[in-house]
Amino acid sequence: MAFAMRRRSIWRNIALFAAILGPGIITGSVDNDAGGITTYSVAGALYGYNLIWTLIPSFLVLVIVQEMNARMGVVTGKGLADLIRENAGVKITFFIFIGLLIADIGNTTTEFAGVAGSLEIFSVSKYISVPVVAFIVWIMVVKGNYKIAEKIFLVFSAALLMYVVSALMGKPHWQEIGMAIIRPKMKMTTGSIEMIIGLIGTTIAPWMQFYMQSSVIEKGLKIRQYKFILLDIIVGCLATVVVAFFIIVACASTLNVNNVVINEAKDAALALKPLAGAVSSQVFAFGLFIASIFSATILPIATAFYVCEAFGFEAGIDKKWKEAPEFYWLYTGIILLGMIIILIPNAPLIAITLWSQILNGILLPVVLVCMILLVNNKKIMGIHINRPIQNIIGWGSVVILVGLSITLVLMPLLT
Amino acid sequence: MTLQTTFYLSQILGKRFFSPEGKILGIIRDFQIDTTTLSGPDPEPIRPRVIAAKVKVGNETKIYDFATFEVKKFKRKLNMTCYEVHEAANETSPNCLWLAENILDKQIVDINGRKLVRVNDVRMVMIPSGTYAIAVDVGIEGLLRRIGIGRFLETALDPVNVSIPGKMILWDDIETVDFSNSNIKLSKSSSRLRTLHPSDLADIIEDLDRTTRTSVFASLDEEQAADVLEELEPKAQIEIAESLPVEKMADLLEKMPADEAADLLDVLEEDKAIKILDEMEKGSSEEVRELLEYPDKVVGSIMTTDFLTFREDMTVEETINEIRKVHPEPSNIYSIFVTDKNNKLVRAISLMELIIANPSLKLKQITKQKPMTVFDQDKVDSLAEMVSKYNLLAVPVINHDMEMEGVVVVEDIVEDLLNRRKTR
Repeated sequence: MAFAMRRRSIWRNIALFAAILGPGIITGSVDNDAGGITTYSVAGALYGYNLIWTLIPSFLVLVIVQEMNARMGVVTGKGLADLIRENAGVKITFFIFIGLLIADIGNTTTEFAGVAGSLEIFSVSKYISVPVVAFIVWIMVVKGNYKIAEKIFLVFSAALLMYVVSALMGKPHWQEIGMAIIRPKMKMTTGSIEMIIGLIGTTIAPWMQFYMQSSVIEKGLKIRQYKFILLDIIVGCLATVVVAFFIIVACASTLNVNNVVINEAKDAALALKPLAGAVSSQVFAFGLFIASIFSATILPIATAFYVCEAFGFEAGIDKKWKEAPEFYWLYTGIILLGMIIILIPNAPLIAITLWSQILNGILLPVVLVCMILLVNNKKIMGIHINRPIQNIIGWGSVVILVGLSITLVLMPLLT
Repeated sequence: MTLQTTFYLSQILGKRFFSPEGKILGIIRDFQIDTTTLSGPDPEPIRPRVIAAKVKVGNETKIYDFATFEVKKFKRKLNMTCYEVHEAANETSPNCLWLAENILDKQIVDINGRKLVRVNDVRMVMIPSGTYAIAVDVGIEGLLRRIGIGRFLETALDPVNVSIPGKMILWDDIETVDFSNSNIKLSKSSSRLRTLHPSDLADIIEDLDRTTRTSVFASLDEEQAADVLEELEPKAQIEIAESLPVEKMADLLEKMPADEAADLLDVLEEDKAIKILDEMEKGSSEEVRELLEYPDKVVGSIMTTDFLTFREDMTVEETINEIRKVHPEPSNIYSIFVTDKNNKLVRAISLMELIIANPSLKLKQITKQKPMTVFDQDKVDSLAEMVSKYNLLAVPVINHDMEMEGVVVVEDIVEDLLNRRKTR
């Protein structure tokens, strides 16, 4: 009897979890976008296993930050853009969202670069692949099949697990990896600090905080489901970090060992061919393609939505073009700009990736400070304000991030 | 001396104010307005008067009566004088709002535009009888002014003859709804939301956050609430249903057509739906229960059981008089369903045919055509084709004894088509 009861409650819990599953896992998958894959590949190729340890603090901060987003969304029912605008005033809102807009145009460009690069491995010219993909993405949203697309991509994002295959094919040295995590050996140079900021910045991208909070609201989650919401977030963050880990390992155990220098994720796929075989290279490229197109769909629409939310323009994919012109023009503009930049011959792609990541790095502490202030505001959150441990980790991350950024700026002056 | 001074809220907040001798008295933090409507045969345009100012004096926050304040403009610079300091009590009536705390940067309903907008600034005027809020600024111009680059851009764009689009909405045409950060409740009596069409109001409510949504919904009277609830998207319906007590939901559902009520209960959690059904009056709950039995794709699932039938030997005049007396909902009277003495459906006459017919004719004499009918277990797909082919506004649903079970009206068929397109 007791056993039967127990079993039913387990099934009930699984069913309950499946019903609320989503926001954390989708956010986690979008997190490993073209920019992310590039950064992890370059980190692996340049520094071998030595930067894997950064994934542990990244994971911790990611969980804490997304938990705050989810809690704010559940308690207030308002998007982060709304809350910032209503409580931080116009000037800070303006700064954040102009920054976010520029960074996201850069990020979208990176996603299209990922599409172009990955399809070049399969010998498709970027002058064909990028306009076609951009058009498909654009029409999908304007014609209103976005929700279905999101679900299809979620299933496809399981393709990111291909990096596990890719990594195992490179025969990594597990002992070395273990040692590198426990006792990382590395010098603090401008390059390595840049890399660390890049890794953290791409793992905890500012726009994802807005995305996370909106999807929690969209899903209509309640505070009584908190346990499951937290579980969903942890699973999503874990997926992000595990995929990142295997990308770094894949590149470290092949490219780094052979001293191959790469600048883009595409280079990694190309370089894998002679070292780990054609299959490994194609698997890597396919993963990159899926990740890029997934993020290229979500990123522009999400950005257009938050900007409109903050400045009070009508927004939403259920609105017609005439009802929400600012929203649709913004969306179209972001896709067009991203596409055009990619198609310019000899566009400085690496510089664009780098700059959008630096912008992310500057925005992240600002957004985090706003979030921590909001989530501790009793008028907004009632009894659901942060516990001390959450504040310690939250403020700790802000201090470390700001510290790293300042070090990066000052380093050239000191040496 | 000028009789009136106009200014924006953003130009005053955070500014110092002075005594007549020019001594700094403090810093303006917020203005409190009284939104009470002047009642009368022809109410004046609503212009909420500023009744108090929240000020910062040293490290203390105080509330001062605004009657002794004066705002003057001198060469585009605003100057604020307080002739005598009177501390005021903190007025907490729902008609008294703080401009910065409750309105600035918040979402409000634009009644004429029928949508939610965000307040970038508030336009104010000082005239001898007092200081008033006239309009809210929701345009880009207001946004740029707040950021502090409005003037600069204006001058820069002046030579090329481009002006920044501004948009003001008069106080009469807005309704404040967002009080999530304070304890104010939306006032029931003065709400301008009641002038909106239920469908528009439903769209606006869908765009609000959950807390505001619930409070706006709670401010509607029962009749309007039922109409709005019917028009909401299923997701918003669920949220509203969960926020309301079972008894209140039951009352609302009784006011809705049975088919809409059944649709709504269909999307709710089962035990909640059963509780609501048990709470409803027996008559209405039974109708709804029957409709709930039908699977999704059959005619029964979208038919309504509210319909009128008339005997075949009634005259046109008697029928029209009867309709006047019953005063049915428009959608219940698209067609006049005529039955014989055995309750079998024999004719379907459109309202148009009825009106132009000779008043003394009997109903069975108007047309010889047999009505187009469907069975409750027929597929929904067949309906759209049927109404389009025969130009019908309503299709009677019958059982195998030719007795009427219900009616499918054209708007429910269109809605079904739209829903199917959405999910494809």
